[in-house]
Amino acid sequence: MLRPKGMRRLLIAAPKSEIETIIHELYRHNVYHIEDFVPESESEGLSIGHPLPEASDAASALIKVRAIESACGIDPGSIEVKRKIPASKVREMIRTDLPAIQKEVEDLVNSRSKLEVQKKEHEQRARELEPFTAIPLDLEFYRGYRNFTVFAGHISRDIEIGVPHEEYFSDKVTGNMIVVVVHNEHREEVERILLNARFQALTVPEENGAPADRLQAHLNEIRRIDDEIAAINRRLAEIREQYAEILVACDELLTADVERAEAPLRFATTEVTFISEGWVPDDRADEIQKALVRATGGRIYIEELEIEDDSRVPMEYDNPPFATPMQLLVDLYGRPRYSELDPTVVMTILFPIFFGVIVGDVGYGVILLAMSLGLRRFLKGEGMRSLLKVGTYASISSIVFGILYSEFLGYSLPWETLIFSRHLNIGGHATGHGPQVVELLIFAIWIGILHVTLGRVLGIANARRLHHGKHATKAVIANAGWLGVMWGILLLIWSIFPIPLMPNLTGLPVVLMGLNASAVAGAVLLVAGLIGIAQENPLEIVELPTIFGHVISYVRLMAVGLSSVAIAMTVNYIAIGMLIEPQLDAITLVGVITIIFGILVFMLGHLLNTALGILGGGLHSLRLHYVEFFTKFYKGGGIKYNPFGMRSKFMEE
Amino acid sequence: MVDFGTAEVTVEMIQASQIGMKAFSAALAVGVTGIASAVAEMAIGSAAVGAIAENRDVFGPVLVLTVIPETIVIFGLVVALLLLF
Repeated sequence: MLRPKGMRRLLIAAPKSEIETIIHELYRHNVYHIEDFVPESESEGLSIGHPLPEASDAASALIKVRAIESACGIDPGSIEVKRKIPASKVREMIRTDLPAIQKEVEDLVNSRSKLEVQKKEHEQRARELEPFTAIPLDLEFYRGYRNFTVFAGHISRDIEIGVPHEEYFSDKVTGNMIVVVVHNEHREEVERILLNARFQALTVPEENGAPADRLQAHLNEIRRIDDEIAAINRRLAEIREQYAEILVACDELLTADVERAEAPLRFATTEVTFISEGWVPDDRADEIQKALVRATGGRIYIEELEIEDDSRVPMEYDNPPFATPMQLLVDLYGRPRYSELDPTVVMTILFPIFFGVIVGDVGYGVILLAMSLGLRRFLKGEGMRSLLKVGTYASISSIVFGILYSEFLGYSLPWETLIFSRHLNIGGHATGHGPQVVELLIFAIWIGILHVTLGRVLGIANARRLHHGKHATKAVIANAGWLGVMWGILLLIWSIFPIPLMPNLTGLPVVLMGLNASAVAGAVLLVAGLIGIAQENPLEIVELPTIFGHVISYVRLMAVGLSSVAIAMTVNYIAIGMLIEPQLDAITLVGVITIIFGILVFMLGHLLNTALGILGGGLHSLRLHYVEFFTKFYKGGGIKYNPFGMRSKFMEE
Repeated sequence: MVDFGTAEVTVEMIQASQIGMKAFSAALAVGVTGIASAVAEMAIGSAAVGAIAENRDVFGPVLVLTVIPETIVIFGLVVALLLLF
């Protein structure tokens, strides 16, 4: 539960003739985590192995399958498995069906890209033609003159030209349009006049006939091409419907083939033998060894090696099912090292509690619960599933704390709050004594004190696992020292100030120099703690203020929660108190519209607050774990256990 | 006759202005520390995103670094709450 799965280190050596059998056997069992062979100067006579002969064929076939998948928009991750296809049948299909599918998809994609190029051309032509549609001239009249010059283009305004000419002007198109025909002898003069009016020449399209007709022709072409592209897309969608299952099965089979064929690249080889080192979970180690011996007929040497370096051991979680979703969030920070405590279970219990303390509203809890359960049907990925499961826990905790706080979408439930009131005095007829801020604040700080203490206790437990010999003892004492300093300071404070919800030790008998028993105990703890910290590393003393910082950081549990209550109550006041209620006395048409608007404000406001609740509640709870909790004991940075093999999803051997 | 030269200050006015000053101080405590946290996190955050883009595994340590300045605004918040309640 708090420990990862035990691992054993295996060394496998066998003649090269058995390499394929062994690879197949290892791949089938899917338990052997290969440690990649890295050639070093001292590993004389050993070199990296060569891929099996079928590697290149399998790889090129795989590329083809992936190309088809991407053309049809198939994502193996989002395909639902209806039935598994036998591997032999998949192989048969790769030989017979796949080339035909590949050819069709390739042709379709090629003709689609050709059509897209054509479409672009027509669009370009249409754009060029558009300004000319404003002028009642056929396109052949713009060219082919020996003694005349034609100016056609955009201009800022209509102009007067002082020489004999023929002119067409239109302001129906953007940037206006002017066409001027003049005798060659007046060309320069007219050009100057035009340029003064910011004339921009346009090239006349190389076409004949009325511009409007030509434009229409191009638009028709574009429409026709769009239809053709749509037909191709429909055909690709049909292929996706028809072959998706087969394609993902081919993908899976070929991926497996490629992985198997390339496995020797991770082995060390001599001329006639190969050697591989790897990791196998405790409970599967005997099974795989027997299977290998059986498969090779005894032509294999297997030895269990000592684990020398903890940091090289791959780590696989060993958690009860209810805690597995939280592994995702622990991985986000960093997978635990093989030798250290796995905080997943602790986090599975505490994360939802923190979330509940922050959100603490039956209404939002129910909305979140419905979302977490409802979205399961649509979000398929493994990570998403885990996240939704965590969401389910968090929302149930919100409902529980909502009952305790007596909150429903910012309103009170029919009972008084069972712990501390977070109800603010918002709105015209707000009553009650307002939020119990000081109590809430100290409640949050208590959570912080306990959480940090738990972190340090786990730190003491972890120090023995992470360090060896003298350093382990030092680390244990340092962790205890941090605890001593924190509790020492607390005892000192309690002996001086009476604080609500905390032990009042001001009344204890004075024992020394005007200090009472608790103050003396606190001072002793503080000094002993300081010495404990300093004996490991004196520089750590600089970090002492983090004791305050980290504990007070838990105030956010209350602060974020109060802000969410304030938003909820404000939304209620605006929507119901200000918009809906005043209209209910006498219903008018305007009143009905106002009421609808009020309902809209109510829904949008609470939707926004739900989103803020997920963000605020989730991120702050997560941060309290990552920053305040994990830094006390957790290192992370372990190697993920990634066995050689595949859990086949779409086919069966 | 009314003497316009002197204004009358009642106890209620002083109390009201004290409440106002308290609220104002609380606002300052949260607001200014909030800005301070934001400025500090700005630089760390952009560097952190860069580091994560380079190497996904540093998320944990980098997150810890990014949120260090948040302490400032939390202290501000505590001060504000103690002022108000």
